Amino acid sequence: MVASFDTHVFWEALSSGPYWKGALLALGLTVASISVAIVIGFLLALGRSSRLRAVRGFVFFYNWLFRATPTLLQLLFIWDALPQLWPVFAGSWFTPFLAAFVALSLNEAAYMSEIIRAGLLSVDPGQELAGRALGMSRRQILRRVIVPQSIRIIIPPTGNEFITLLKLTSLASVISVHELLTAANEQASVAFKFAEVYGAALVYYLAMVSVLMLLQSRLERRFTFTSAGRRRRVAAPAVPAVSHDAR
Amino acid sequence: MSRDAILRADAVHKHYGDLEVLRGVTFEVGRGEVKVIIGPSGSGKSTLLRCLALLEEPDAGQVSLEGRRPGRGEVGMVFQRFNLFQNMTALGNVMIGLTEVRRLPKREAREQATEFLARVGLKDKAGQYPDELSGGQQQRVAIARALVMRPQAMLFDEPTSALDVELVREVLDVMEQLANEGMTMVVVSHELRFAHHVASSILMMDEGVVIEEAPPEQFFSAPEHERTRRFLALVE
Repeated sequence: MVASFDTHVFWEALSSGPYWKGALLALGLTVASISVAIVIGFLLALGRSSRLRAVRGFVFFYNWLFRATPTLLQLLFIWDALPQLWPVFAGSWFTPFLAAFVALSLNEAAYMSEIIRAGLLSVDPGQELAGRALGMSRRQILRRVIVPQSIRIIIPPTGNEFITLLKLTSLASVISVHELLTAANEQASVAFKFAEVYGAALVYYLAMVSVLMLLQSRLERRFTFTSAGRRRRVAAPAVPAVSHDAR
Repeated sequence: MSRDAILRADAVHKHYGDLEVLRGVTFEVGRGEVKVIIGPSGSGKSTLLRCLALLEEPDAGQVSLEGRRPGRGEVGMVFQRFNLFQNMTALGNVMIGLTEVRRLPKREAREQATEFLARVGLKDKAGQYPDELSGGQQQRVAIARALVMRPQAMLFDEPTSALDVELVREVLDVMEQLANEGMTMVVVSHELRFAHHVASSILMMDEGVVIEEAPPEQFFSAPEHERTRRFLALVE
């Protein structure tokens, strides 16, 4: 038996309102940020192969800027420095949640753009050629042929990104977003029952990530293009592992 | 120049960097004619087809269909590696040109696509994805995908050279049937028996130019050029 673990406090924490709210906030922030990051990342990925040098230069600059600086610093910059530079951000509309959302979206977009670019490049050039031979426009080929095929490649690393981002939302506690870790910290400082309250927070993160992993494997099957693929699990194609846990 | 030339290449030049792939190719195909192009690798056969299909823009010279620039899907192309859209079923592959390029309603596109799949003998494979079809079946779907657009001419770029020997026949049969129905065709292929049997004339390409063109009988029995003789000896 463990020397002292108050199961009552643990269950109390697990079912408490601030935890629920904190977890929902973390999840909401993650879903919102990754959604926007995928859209921006897609545009950045397209920009990488643009005919215009200025566009390619911008994408390079963007990815360099957001990957070369710590996420925590970006978060603090957007929350504290933006209002100083542009008074418009000093208004009450610019909430901590919004600042965290902007910071994490912009940051994540840099990583997503590389993932999406790798996905688009993984599609056989013969697919585009066949589309052009049929008379399809570049946009039609992208939407109907290349993007659907690249999704299979993009899903696993995007799952990684989602998990990383979910954990990164804990950084938002420094700009007073009441996410899960903030809730745990507050309870810990009241009760001094660290094992119980942090343990409860662990359970929340584990639960959220587990659900995500389940969704991911379903999505992968959805984008496996064999008539049996929707029933049978097919080995995922090799994807270079990206590790950036020390963001 | 024959009166009813439908597809023409006029002094077509194409280079990639320093490499001159086409050095002034001129030839024409009349309606319902089948022209087979042979020649060593690197002679510019595939590049010529790509220029005819407007997949490549010639650096100089012109490609015309009935005297004008070919429109979208008017010249059908069949590739060596099939290039079926991997994310669509056989039926989906044949439908997509109709729904996206011809803007037909789904229902009508499905009817026509099913009809064309039946023509290449693959009606029962409509729901299969390319990964689940043999090479020969994939190539026949690719032919149906191009045909459904009602092209004025069909181009085949080594359509059987990626196939296992026993699958070549089913693809050549479909092509022969197509030729018999009066389709205008340009075929890059080293299937000499097919060429002998089906072609209106055979062209020999070397180093970016057409060096010889003749009806099959004459081409095989009395080739004009030494280069052609040597090449035929190697292929046969």
